[in-house]
Amino acid sequence: MLRKLLDSIGPSFHEGGKFERFYILYEAVDTLLYSPPETTPHAPHARDAMDLKRVMGYVWLATFPVILMACWNTGFQANSAMAAMGTGELEGWRGALLGGIGYDPASFFANFLHGLTYFLPIYLTTFIVGGLAEVVFSFVRGHEVNEGFFVTSILYTLTMPPSIPLWMVSLGIIFGVVIGKEVFGGTGKNFLNPALVGRAFLFFAYPAAISGDSVWVAADGYSGATPLAAAAAGGMEQVAAGGYSWFDAFIGFIPGSIGETSTLAILIGGAMLLITRIASWRIVSGVFIGMVATSLLLNLIGSDTNPMFSMPFWWHLVTGGFAFGMIFMATDPVTAAHTNAGRWWFGILIGFMVVMIRVVNPAYPEGMMLAILFANIFAPLIDHFVVQANVRRRLKRQTQRA
Amino acid sequence: MGFLKKLFDMPNDSRVKTVLVAFLLCLVCSLLVSTAAVALRPVQEANKLADKRRNILEIAGMMQEGADVNELFKQIEPRVIDLDTGEYVDDVDATAYDQRKASKDPAQSKALASDEDIASIRRRADKATVYLVRNGDEVETIILPVHGYGLWSTMYGFMALEGDGQTVKGFGFYEQAETPGLGGEVDNPNWKALWHGKQVYDENGNVALQVIKGSVGDATPDPEHKVDGLAGASLTSRGVSNLVKYWLGERGFKPFLEQFKG
Amino acid sequence: MDAEIKKNLVDPLVDNNPITWQILGICSALAVTTSMNTALLMSLALTTVVALSNFSISLVRDHTPGSIRIIVQMIIIASLVIIVDQFMRAYAFDTAKKLSVFVGLIITNCIVMGRAEAYAMSHGPKLSFFDGLGNGLGYSLVLLIVAFIRELFGAGSLFGVQIFELTKDGGWYQSNGLLLLPPSAFFIIGLLIWVIRTFKPAQVEQPTFRIHEEINPQLV
Repeated sequence: MLRKLLDSIGPSFHEGGKFERFYILYEAVDTLLYSPPETTPHAPHARDAMDLKRVMGYVWLATFPVILMACWNTGFQANSAMAAMGTGELEGWRGALLGGIGYDPASFFANFLHGLTYFLPIYLTTFIVGGLAEVVFSFVRGHEVNEGFFVTSILYTLTMPPSIPLWMVSLGIIFGVVIGKEVFGGTGKNFLNPALVGRAFLFFAYPAAISGDSVWVAADGYSGATPLAAAAAGGMEQVAAGGYSWFDAFIGFIPGSIGETSTLAILIGGAMLLITRIASWRIVSGVFIGMVATSLLLNLIGSDTNPMFSMPFWWHLVTGGFAFGMIFMATDPVTAAHTNAGRWWFGILIGFMVVMIRVVNPAYPEGMMLAILFANIFAPLIDHFVVQANVRRRLKRQTQRA
Repeated sequence: MGFLKKLFDMPNDSRVKTVLVAFLLCLVCSLLVSTAAVALRPVQEANKLADKRRNILEIAGMMQEGADVNELFKQIEPRVIDLDTGEYVDDVDATAYDQRKASKDPAQSKALASDEDIASIRRRADKATVYLVRNGDEVETIILPVHGYGLWSTMYGFMALEGDGQTVKGFGFYEQAETPGLGGEVDNPNWKALWHGKQVYDENGNVALQVIKGSVGDATPDPEHKVDGLAGASLTSRGVSNLVKYWLGERGFKPFLEQFKG
Repeated sequence: MDAEIKKNLVDPLVDNNPITWQILGICSALAVTTSMNTALLMSLALTTVVALSNFSISLVRDHTPGSIRIIVQMIIIASLVIIVDQFMRAYAFDTAKKLSVFVGLIITNCIVMGRAEAYAMSHGPKLSFFDGLGNGLGYSLVLLIVAFIRELFGAGSLFGVQIFELTKDGGWYQSNGLLLLPPSAFFIIGLLIWVIRTFKPAQVEQPTFRIHEEINPQLV
């Protein structure tokens, strides 16, 4: 039925039709719903049920556990903070919506809905504004709207702090899409992860809105340090003093960016991606190994003045954006290394950098975003060395045989 | 002139001409440069002095829009003191003494051990210039130079105290390179205004003045000693706390300030 | 002759701009463009130096031995920079203090050396002077545009005068901290080049490689 509808309106969008100029919009809807009818006429023929749209669709699905936990935890943190501060009612539209349900941090429903009132506006803003930027470029360049943006928009949303103003969200995603992707020619030609470029823009442009102690809980005037910030300030004792156990951090009962708090939900999504082989297990393992090795080394070195040195690797795993970045950001097939050996080194570089930034750099308690962007820049170089090494090896084999 | 004509007639790549051209060019250029440097020096020196004076006046809250800096500065009396004893040193010219230069000179400064160097300044000059504002015989304001490490940079500033050596009158930095928007907010006039009226020492004579995390509210104990932290800049805030603690402490200006607390 | 002078003056403004087309002098463009004051003073300093150095180098070009050519140029440029620096310290102290080392670094600015070697060594003093002036103005134009954007949106002010009331002072404008950091000048210059090349397609470089539309099956 839907197919019929699409087919019946199809001609007016094709060349010569009434809505020729809007073909890219028609194409986007059509191919999202159905496999494209076109086939490759010449060799090579890739036999695979996977195309770019399906890949992006799976990644989007894999974020669902994270989104669920994100909504619940954002609400839980906000409701707990309200209970602690004795705020009874909210003002404005949130108050009007949630007034009937209440703000009980023990109620699953109240938490979830409260969180949803933060998640949805950010997501919608990202989607509409970023999508608009995407469509404008498609029109000007005459290429099709790319589903990569579905993934970029949800990943970008999940890395935002809940309290961020929506106009900043818009600016960030525009910067991410335009500077991070379109100026290099669009999806597939960008060398930096557009979601992270957008976030990095906000991080440097409006640091007060995306770092510090008071932005991670969506309740006005409430200051709640993330465990990672607590560890940077006073070591593991201060994390314990904040009342966070490792298990809390693993399941996601901690303040932080919307989608990064629950390592458990991220790992469930990650399992999906790894089983369907969309995410490279080499990159994920590389990131993990790099992080463990570097943190063990720093544990060994130790420091009297910097408590972060003694932070164990299982805490690095569950705090900040590490897990989220490892599963969803580092594995972006476009901006990661493309060779198998390169993927290992790419992952290890991220794992190494994230611990170094967290521990040694005094200014940024969180390092995942910067570590991934850093490794993105090095990915082509890593690939180059891998290819060169391969060329040398084969050359040697040839000359030996001769 | 005959010499120049002969020079111009020589072939360009001859050795004599190469040497002569080089020599003449250097002569002309050095003449121009040194003339400019010598002629403009007095104006530059005056600028430098006025700049420093303006900083002091601004922090002491004595700067008036449109007024002549040097005229205003006549109310202020610079004195060199010995930091260890807190006594005035009269054989050093206070207008010429450069504390920043002295703190780099091993003969005029001492290295700090890491446990006493809480402001991360490495070396401290033996003598310091303080600025006094008198009202009749009474000292009304004491202005002390302070510096210490924040997050990225050494921050240089002045702290102005009332004549009792206990109440803060003004505080600010004239040189810092902290993160714009976060630590750079040490220059925010609203934040600097928070220092006004704070008390430096507690009843035991220890430095109690500090920057706290978050803001000072009704529930904060001893609010007279506490100043709001800078949002999102805990390390710069800590740096400010540390340099206040150092410079108002035993190894800083405390011996000197003791004399004012009757 | 007049047409030549006009060409020397106008060409480097957009068509042959030293920053956006030749990509020279980027370092100082990043460092001094956080405010209009510093950008303007830097522009003045560089324009003065490049115009005068072109003039003097052209003046002595017929008697400059080839073996010490570069040294002669360096001495003239360095002397001019020092003199300009001394004047700025005397008469524009506050802004010069913020420019600190970057005035001295005009000595190594590629635009000055480049014009001396590429133009002044082979043209008369008058033409060389206007060539230097034109290039200096081209540099200034870019610097001032970048500084305009950075100061207005980074600090909400122009020439130190508050235009947008900042949120921290109770106003409506939240200043953009990225614009106060040096990398932002890269973005702005990059976007500027994008705009210029959109209107002047002649400046677009040939791609270094091309992806084949389709491989001819007969050849495979």
